[in-house]
Amino acid sequence: MKRTQALSTAFLIALLAAWVVSLIGHYDVVLDVDPNRTNAGPSSQLWLGADDSGRDVFQRLMKSTEAFVGPGLLACFVAALLAVPLGAWAGWTGGWLGESIRFLFTSVAALPRFVLVLLVCSIYGTGGVTLGVAAGLAYAPALSEAIYDRVSRFRRAGFVMAAQAHGLTTKRILGWHIRWVNARALIGGHLLQLFGYFLLVETTLSFLGDFGVQEPMPSWGNMISRDALQGGVNDLNLWATAAPVVAIWLTVWACAKLAQSLDEVDDV
Amino acid sequence: MADAVAPKAQPSWKVALLLLQPLASFVATMAGALFFVSALLFFSPGNAADVVAQDEQLRQALVEEWGLDGSVFQQYGAYLTRALGGDFGVSLTYRPGTSVAELMAAKAPDTLFLVLTALFLSVTVGTLVAFWSAGRPNSLSRTAIQWLSVPPVFLVAYLGMVGLDAWAYGSTVEKGLTPPPWFPLLMETSPVKTALAVTVLAFASSALTEIHGTAEREIRRIRNSGYVDAARARGAPTWPHTLSNLLPALTTLVSNRAAFFLGGAIVVEKVFGIHGLGDVLWEACRKRDFPLVLGITLLSAGFVCGIRLLADWVRLALDPRQRGGT
Repeated sequence: MKRTQALSTAFLIALLAAWVVSLIGHYDVVLDVDPNRTNAGPSSQLWLGADDSGRDVFQRLMKSTEAFVGPGLLACFVAALLAVPLGAWAGWTGGWLGESIRFLFTSVAALPRFVLVLLVCSIYGTGGVTLGVAAGLAYAPALSEAIYDRVSRFRRAGFVMAAQAHGLTTKRILGWHIRWVNARALIGGHLLQLFGYFLLVETTLSFLGDFGVQEPMPSWGNMISRDALQGGVNDLNLWATAAPVVAIWLTVWACAKLAQSLDEVDDV
Repeated sequence: MADAVAPKAQPSWKVALLLLQPLASFVATMAGALFFVSALLFFSPGNAADVVAQDEQLRQALVEEWGLDGSVFQQYGAYLTRALGGDFGVSLTYRPGTSVAELMAAKAPDTLFLVLTALFLSVTVGTLVAFWSAGRPNSLSRTAIQWLSVPPVFLVAYLGMVGLDAWAYGSTVEKGLTPPPWFPLLMETSPVKTALAVTVLAFASSALTEIHGTAEREIRRIRNSGYVDAARARGAPTWPHTLSNLLPALTTLVSNRAAFFLGGAIVVEKVFGIHGLGDVLWEACRKRDFPLVLGITLLSAGFVCGIRLLADWVRLALDPRQRGGT
C-alpha cells in the first residue's frame, strides 16, 4: 500500500506541475497545425507523435490539464466551503436546525450528480467556472453528510467534554479538535474523490461535445477520436488516441488510490 | 432463526407509522428538489420565453401566459399544482408543442430497463466476487476489479465499441464475408449493443469497485460475528447466514448507487446512440428546452427518491430491529 500511495502522490504532483508549466508556457493550439507531419509517429521532437492535423500530442496532453485542474480545484473549494461548515454545524447543534440543514442537502442529492451538472450547463452556459461550481455543488451533499456523521459522533466524546470544561470556545473545538485533528483525512479523501469525479465529468462532456471543451482547445476527452465510432476503426491513430486514454485512466486511478489510503488512515 | 426470541408484535398503528415515515420523507425531498431546480431556473440569465420568442411583443405575451413574471415561490406553486395533475407543460424546442409527459412516457421504459439491469448485474457480480475475495489480502480478482472499473463510462463504452467493431471488421469484411447483423454497433439496434451498454454501465466509473468494496467489508464483519462462529461450530454452511445478514447492507448500497447509474445511463445512451430518456435530456439541455429539462430532472429525482423509499421499506421488512422489536 505504501508504494501505491507514493506512486499516486508522485503522479498527482507531476500533474500539478504539468498544469503550472502549461499555464506559463506559450503553446499555441492553432499555430501547431502542420500538414507535413500528419499522424507522425513518436520521435525525439514529437514525444507521443502527432494527431491527424499534425499537432503535437504531448503538448496537447499538457495543455489539456488547463481544462480540468483549475476548475477541479474550484469544485473542491466550493464543496468544502458549502459542506464543511454546514455539515459541522448540523452535527454540532443537532435538533431541528441540524435536520433542516441535512434536508437541504438531501434535496440536492435527490438529483443525480450528472443530471445536475447538465442542468446547470444548460441554464448558465458552459465553461470551466460554471462546471467547477456545478460539480462542487453536486458533490457537497456527500461531504456534508460525512462531516455531519463525524461531528455528531464526537459531540459527546470525552475529549470534547474536557475541552469544554477547560473553557475552550466552540469555534476552537469544532475547528481544531474535531475538524482538523479528527476529520482532515476524511475531508481530504472526499476532495480527492471529487477531483477524480470532476475529471470524469469534464472529459465526458468534452468527448460527447456540445457542453465541454471545444476544438481547437484540447481536453483529454475531445482528444479521443470519435471518428472511430463511425466505422473508421482502421484509420485510427493509435498513439494520439491511446495517450489521453492512458492519461485519464492513470489520473482517476491515482485519485482513487490516494483517497483509499486516506480512508485507511482515517480509521477512527 | 427458530431459537431466537420472537420480537414482540407491534400494534398495527405503530407499524403503519413506521411505513409512513419514509413516505413522508419521500414527499418532502421531492418538494425540496423541485424547489431547488425552480430556484436554479428562476435565477437563470434567460427564461423559456426568451428561448421561443423572436420579437418583444410575443415574449411579453408568453411571459404573462406562463406566469414567468411571478416570484420564485409563485412559479414553484403553479408548477407544483400542474405537475401533481400530471401536466408538465409542453416541449418548446425539442419537439415543439408535444406534451412533456407524453415524451417522457415514451422514452422512460428503455432507460429504466438499462439502469435496473445494470444495477442488478453490478450488485450480483460485486457480491459474488466479494464472497470469494473477502479475507484474501492479495486477491487477484480485487486488483483486477480496481484496475478495470476505474475509467469513466464513456471511455469503457468507446473502447468496447471500437474493439468489437475492429474485430468484426477484421474477421468478416476484410475477408470478403458478410459482417454480423450488429455491425457497425453505432448504427444498428441489436441485443449485442444493449448487452454491451448494460455491461459498461454496470462496471465502469468505479461502480463495481464501490459495490464490491462495500460488500467485502460487510462480509468480513459478518464472518467475524458470533452467529457465524456458531454455525461453523455445528458444521452448518455459513453462507446462508452471511447472505441474509448482507441483504440490508446491499439494499442501502442499491439505494445509494441508483442516482449514479441514472447519470451513467445518459452517457451510455449518448455514446451508443440509444434513444432513451438520457438522450432526450441531453438534447433538451442543448436546445434549452426548459419544460422538458425540468420534467426529466423531476422524473429522475422521483426515481432516486422512489428507490430510497423502497429500500427503506425493504430494510424494515428484513430487519426486525428497525421495527422496534426486542
